[in-house]
Amino acid sequence: MTDSRSISFAAGPRESVPLAVLRDVRKTYVMGDEQVHALDGVNLTIDHGDFLAILGPSGSGKSTMMHILGFMDKATGGEIIFEGEDVSRISAARRAWYRANRVGFIFQAFNLLPRLSVLENVILPMRYSRECDMREATARAEHAIERVGMTHRLHHRPSQLSGGERQRVAIARSMVNRPGIILADEPTGNLDSKNVGRILELLESLLVEGLTVIMVTHDLGVAEHARRVIAMRDGKIQEDRRR
Amino acid sequence: MNFFAAINNGLRELWANKVRSLLSMSGIILGVAALIAMVTVVQSMMGGFRKFVELRGGIEKIQISKDDLPKEQEHLAGLSVGITVRDMKAIRVGAPLVRYISPEIRAGWEQITLPGRQVNTVVTGVGPDWVPVNKRELARGRFIADLDLLQKTCVAVLGAYTAEVLFPGNEEPVGKKLKIRGTTFTIVGVLAPVDPGGPPGRGSSGRGGISRWMNNGVYIPLDTAISRFTGNEVLSALNVSVGRAEDILHAVPQIENILLQTHDGLQDFRLETNEAMLADFQKTEASFTYSLGGVAGISLFVGAIGIMNVMLASINERIREIGVRKAIGARGSDIFFQFLAEAGVISFLGGVLGLGVSFGIILAMNSILAASIPDATTATVKPVIMLAGLLFSMGVGLLAGIYPAIRAAKLDPIEALRYE
Repeated sequence: MTDSRSISFAAGPRESVPLAVLRDVRKTYVMGDEQVHALDGVNLTIDHGDFLAILGPSGSGKSTMMHILGFMDKATGGEIIFEGEDVSRISAARRAWYRANRVGFIFQAFNLLPRLSVLENVILPMRYSRECDMREATARAEHAIERVGMTHRLHHRPSQLSGGERQRVAIARSMVNRPGIILADEPTGNLDSKNVGRILELLESLLVEGLTVIMVTHDLGVAEHARRVIAMRDGKIQEDRRR
Repeated sequence: MNFFAAINNGLRELWANKVRSLLSMSGIILGVAALIAMVTVVQSMMGGFRKFVELRGGIEKIQISKDDLPKEQEHLAGLSVGITVRDMKAIRVGAPLVRYISPEIRAGWEQITLPGRQVNTVVTGVGPDWVPVNKRELARGRFIADLDLLQKTCVAVLGAYTAEVLFPGNEEPVGKKLKIRGTTFTIVGVLAPVDPGGPPGRGSSGRGGISRWMNNGVYIPLDTAISRFTGNEVLSALNVSVGRAEDILHAVPQIENILLQTHDGLQDFRLETNEAMLADFQKTEASFTYSLGGVAGISLFVGAIGIMNVMLASINERIREIGVRKAIGARGSDIFFQFLAEAGVISFLGGVLGLGVSFGIILAMNSILAASIPDATTATVKPVIMLAGLLFSMGVGLLAGIYPAIRAAKLDPIEALRYE
């Protein structure tokens, strides 16, 4: 899918079309006799290079939206166009392909694999995407680790790193496969204020390279760093504000 | 995720949980050890036994010996004389399926003297068929011939060990004279040594156990033994052999009928074939195979449960890891093969350790056997059995790993990531 083999984290192809378009997307869970509408007709267009914050109380549907955008979950209704392709009804294997190649995840709890070193953690997405051989994967991982300033910890285990360092490694992991979009779920939720600033700076710097970042948070202060803030409530977009 | 990465991953997990992995391997270790030890020991026992039977004339041989009378004939015990030269002659005439007839008269444990040396050994009166019936060969000279029996000549053939003791070095025994109970005998031949197998250094020169007994002795013409030593025609053994092994079935009743006639209806004899011994042994082999195979089977089954259990526990501990892997692009099949590879690594290493344990078991069994039976054949593990044991353990491990791997592969990534 990537049209550039040079080492850069530039976003994907077809920049003439929006990165993602959601039309009347619904997600309904059945809990006993009751139907819960986690997403209730969401319409949203995400452009390349956007820095989007999704705000909302718990149960507002922001996590569900992120799971659907991240190909972790299927919508029960509506249409999703990703990089110009209709991905509303694709198979589980195809969704795994998108996760491996076009999406990067950053989690609140970092979720680095404890038995793997920093380098191995960052190489992992490339093992699953099968896009390059080990030598190229290692070079790309080292470059990504350098980009987040963690080269001095290449062979350390996650348990030997501080919270802020772990999140920087997680960011390196999320961008190593040159995804079209990086989804960050409360990326600063487990960090102290000094590290919050650093991580946000790092995310903002990725935008310069053409990456698109979507951040889910319930911290207004954090959301203020984004260029576009979407507020959700009861599975609907309540406010869509550009700064 | 490629094959080597999956194996590497499996080794890493195993190393991270060393004790747990070792415990879960124990079933496989014991199973493989039992399996390999069983197959090896049974095979070498069988091989040893076939050799043993061959040394005793093969399955063409029938041993005829004196037996106790059945209950209904016990009052006639006084009439029983045993197996005699008359029986031998009757069989020669009346049993066409019998090819060789070898009567034996044990003259006794005698002192053999030569000028300047002496030895005590068994003196046996035999006929010319003794060689083919017992499947023996001559190292030098000739064996006792029909003419020796007819003329009651004083000739002797030495067993290999006896010859070695009486004529050390390169001294030629044939043509030399020796004395038994004052009678001078001329040595006309020396038997080739027999090697019943066993640990090296024991068998070939015939110094231990069975081989010593088989390579010992002095053989003289049957009629000479009767006239000079025993004075009667009662045989101490009568062995015959048939031309083809399948003739045994018909030769046995033929001989029984003849003996019933010569013994005036007294059932004071017994016919034994090596085939019966072989059949007995095959029964023993089967019982060994089933009992040890059962042990191996149960151990491997327990091993499989152990692996399944540890894999399920491992998956429960790593639900979050599975979620992360899926979130960054792992497909269900990637997760499936990752966990299957872990089960494969555990069972393979278990198999290797089991192989090591089986070597220990076989060594121990060999040393016990060697201590109790000096000429027992030692068991060695054949590479094909090792390979089979390893493949079997891996098969069991992979089979046991399938269900946990499917469970891991089917985990929902969102649920898995939420798991605390």
